[in-house]
Amino acid sequence: MSAWGLYVHIPFCQARCTYCDFNTVTGMSADDHRRYRDALIREWEGELLVDGPLVSIFFGGGTPSLVDASHLTAVVEAVDRRVGGLSETVEITVETNPGTVTPKKLRSLIQGGVNRLSIGAQALQNHHLLALNRIHNVDAIKETVAMARAEGFRNISLDAIYGLPSQTLQEWQETVDGLLMLKPDHLSLYALMVEGGTPLKNQLDRGEKTLPDGDLTADMADWAEGRLTEAGLLPYEISNFARPGHESRHNRLYWQLEPYLALGAGAHAYCSGHRWWNVRGVRRYMEFLEAGQDPMDQEEWLDPIEEMREYLWLGLRQRKGVSPRAFVDRFGVDPREAFGGVWEAVAREGLVALDEGRIQLTRRGRDLANLVARALVDAPIEVHMPHS
Amino acid sequence: MDQRHIRNFSIIAHIDHGKSTLADRLIEVTGALSSREMAPQVLDSMDLERERGITIKAQAVRLLYQHEGETYELNLIDTPGHVDFTYEVSRALQACEGALLVVDAAQGVEAQTLANLYLALEHDLAIVPIINKIDLPSADPERVMEELMEIGLDGTEAVPVSAKQGIGIDRVLAEVVAAVPPPRGDADGPFRALIFDSRFDSYKGVLVYIRVVDGRLKVGDRIRFMATSKEFQVTEMGVFGPHPVPVDHLDTGEVGFFAAQIKTVQDTRVGDTVTGAENPARVPLPGYRPAQPMVYSGLYPVDSADYGRLREALEKLQLNDAALTFEPETSAALGFGFRAGFLGLLHMEVIQERLEREYDLTLITTAPNVVYQVTLVSGEVIRVDNPALLPPAGDIQTIEEPVVEASIITPSDYIGAVMELAQERRGIYLNLTYLDNLRAMLTYRLPLGEIMYDFFDQLKSRTRGYASLDYQLAGLEAADLVRMDILLNGEVVDALSTIVHRDRAYQKGRALAEKLRELIPRQMFEVPIQAAVGARVIARETVKALRKDVLAKCYGGDITRKRKLLEKQKEGKRRMKSVGSVEIPQEAFMAILRVED
Repeated sequence: MSAWGLYVHIPFCQARCTYCDFNTVTGMSADDHRRYRDALIREWEGELLVDGPLVSIFFGGGTPSLVDASHLTAVVEAVDRRVGGLSETVEITVETNPGTVTPKKLRSLIQGGVNRLSIGAQALQNHHLLALNRIHNVDAIKETVAMARAEGFRNISLDAIYGLPSQTLQEWQETVDGLLMLKPDHLSLYALMVEGGTPLKNQLDRGEKTLPDGDLTADMADWAEGRLTEAGLLPYEISNFARPGHESRHNRLYWQLEPYLALGAGAHAYCSGHRWWNVRGVRRYMEFLEAGQDPMDQEEWLDPIEEMREYLWLGLRQRKGVSPRAFVDRFGVDPREAFGGVWEAVAREGLVALDEGRIQLTRRGRDLANLVARALVDAPIEVHMPHS
Repeated sequence: MDQRHIRNFSIIAHIDHGKSTLADRLIEVTGALSSREMAPQVLDSMDLERERGITIKAQAVRLLYQHEGETYELNLIDTPGHVDFTYEVSRALQACEGALLVVDAAQGVEAQTLANLYLALEHDLAIVPIINKIDLPSADPERVMEELMEIGLDGTEAVPVSAKQGIGIDRVLAEVVAAVPPPRGDADGPFRALIFDSRFDSYKGVLVYIRVVDGRLKVGDRIRFMATSKEFQVTEMGVFGPHPVPVDHLDTGEVGFFAAQIKTVQDTRVGDTVTGAENPARVPLPGYRPAQPMVYSGLYPVDSADYGRLREALEKLQLNDAALTFEPETSAALGFGFRAGFLGLLHMEVIQERLEREYDLTLITTAPNVVYQVTLVSGEVIRVDNPALLPPAGDIQTIEEPVVEASIITPSDYIGAVMELAQERRGIYLNLTYLDNLRAMLTYRLPLGEIMYDFFDQLKSRTRGYASLDYQLAGLEAADLVRMDILLNGEVVDALSTIVHRDRAYQKGRALAEKLRELIPRQMFEVPIQAAVGARVIARETVKALRKDVLAKCYGGDITRKRKLLEKQKEGKRRMKSVGSVEIPQEAFMAILRVED
């Protein structure tokens, strides 16, 4: 028995943001949206379910809010039918792009069971939004949040990015303060990651844009963490902040290596050391399902040692860290023993510590989480595995 | 073959003036290879050589040429085209009676053209001037003819050619027969031959490339190398056409190769004389000198477990490279490695690249340096090939460094820029002559250590690519030199020590510390970088502590990718060397080469 989640990928976008390397498509028709919905439901009907309670459904993208609300709620209904009724406590999130929703659409979503919105604000300066090729302006962000409140959403998350080309500390402070004024229950603040093949990468390579240096970006992160903590939004993961009780249930599944199924083009699922993902192409995905075939593209199997490593480096992203007891329950060995010398090394460097019975990154360790992750990601593990 | 029908010749040219293309054309026209078989530039046989557009090892091709009812044996002996290999060039030229001097019709006479010409004249070779690339729109054969006159050749006799288009090739061959004298030599005397190259073949052992000067060599003969006194029995002989063709003997004046179960090229030194073991010649051919490394650098495996593999790889390379030397060396910073000696910077780069590419080694290479001759207060004279081993200043009476005489040909407009560069590099002005009203040749005496680094690049960039350079060693000269150490975290890193001129120590120290600050990534703790001469710190920089290193996003669809990213980053870290608690990337040890003046 294990709590589990469901990720549903909606790849459609009105336009592509310059930094985005997710699996997205633009220019698809309303017919394509319908076809895709049918494919999602068909994939769902063929899924092997996990033994345990479903605790979260997450519509991610792409831009889930771009498609007709009925497509999303149809998937929720199909899930509800097959699991024999969704519990009231199930977290159902829709990623929402300002400028793609109306009060009516939001009403349909909430009536269809959606209880959490994750709104991509990204910045509160129009010139940054424009430069990133976002489809909305600052007013649309505020309006979307106001509409969502008015329609009854009680769990709203906002996203923002720091370290944008030419971004100043002051602009970032404006963004964070401005977002706080919208009273979000949850905030995700991401350092900009420049991915290969994106327009942003090309702009930087050509010297058309420049990124703030590492010190300035670090100042932005530190300042925001202080400000949010003051405002009662506590950091519970490297990039995520929430009012207590509003941490994302869905994302916890990822960081705790709990099972999640996944529907849609390129979507990744995980269950008990098995990870698999679907074909990326939206049309190919639909064609597979229409032909009654499994859309799976590739898979990987983690052996127990690989699973231990992932469990630890992912788990340490969370402020609460990893419980050695839970680790023993899952793997039959204490993590400090399993990771032996590597554990001692990162502890000696002051990057990890035991706090109230849990293994956590220290203040310095949170800044240098990658150093810890790199140490763990292929750490030699010398324990005799219990026969499974 | 009748001696009178043999012609031995080389092609000499400035780089890119079309030497290899002309060679290809000669081979093609005489039918040695069909054009289908012609890989571009067949004489450059190593991939690395072809990639770099240079010829490192000489080879010889026998061309059979029908001329006025007679068959001639033309032996084309290829020469290395780089200043590192001047001695090898001189041996190849000694095996010839003539040389084709190729000059680009658009570029005109360049520094290497002259250097090669002088070298050829030293060996009394007949010179056939060739003006190549006459098909180029910018070709100006008239001007080139005048320049040839200026350097003492009869420009009107020059053969106009386009090797690329195949124009004028027959005339070149006819000129070789007419202008190059047949080999002299005593066909009945004791066998003597000059080694102008050798290479290791894993099946046959060393192939020794020779020019027979006197007598005859047959399969089965016992031979002796006069410099090393080693004796072997000839098992196989052949000539290149350009594919190897077996022969059972080579006569006076002929060029070819033999194998004799020789295990290493160390036994077959270029320039040495081969003679018969039974009836040896009394006197060797003139001009032999053992290969003398000019540039040294430390080679260390990043993973100390690879030390044995590095030694084996160096031993294998040495089988085929008599000029490569190495000795075990220990560095406090880098552990166990080798101090290797090279003919020059290019030779060094080629060896390093082969070690990494062919032997899959990850190496730390320390910045190259020249050999210093140090006279101690005690009167003892020592050779220092590793800056870290320079004795304390108080023990030293004088330090002498190798100097070269450099010829630089440049358009007159850039004379000032060239002089400025030469002065920055401690050059001593010797001479200035005008080739014509547009171009001049400057001669300077310069420390070898100063031109080893980016001198050539600087010269090119300050003359918009027009200047050319050639140099020859010109002995040792005393200079006010000091050792500059680099301290990381307060500890001297011996592998980063360099020897610099006292007057330039401050400037170099500052530039090097700054470069190191750029190259050394931020670490968990702040890392002070200091440059010091003796106990005095002359420059200081700081690598600030790493503030943040996090993956901003990591969700369900991303975990596999992020894990691979972490693994890749870790692989990058493994390529760094931990010195004390500081992780130093490979390129930092070469930082001095990248310091701008």
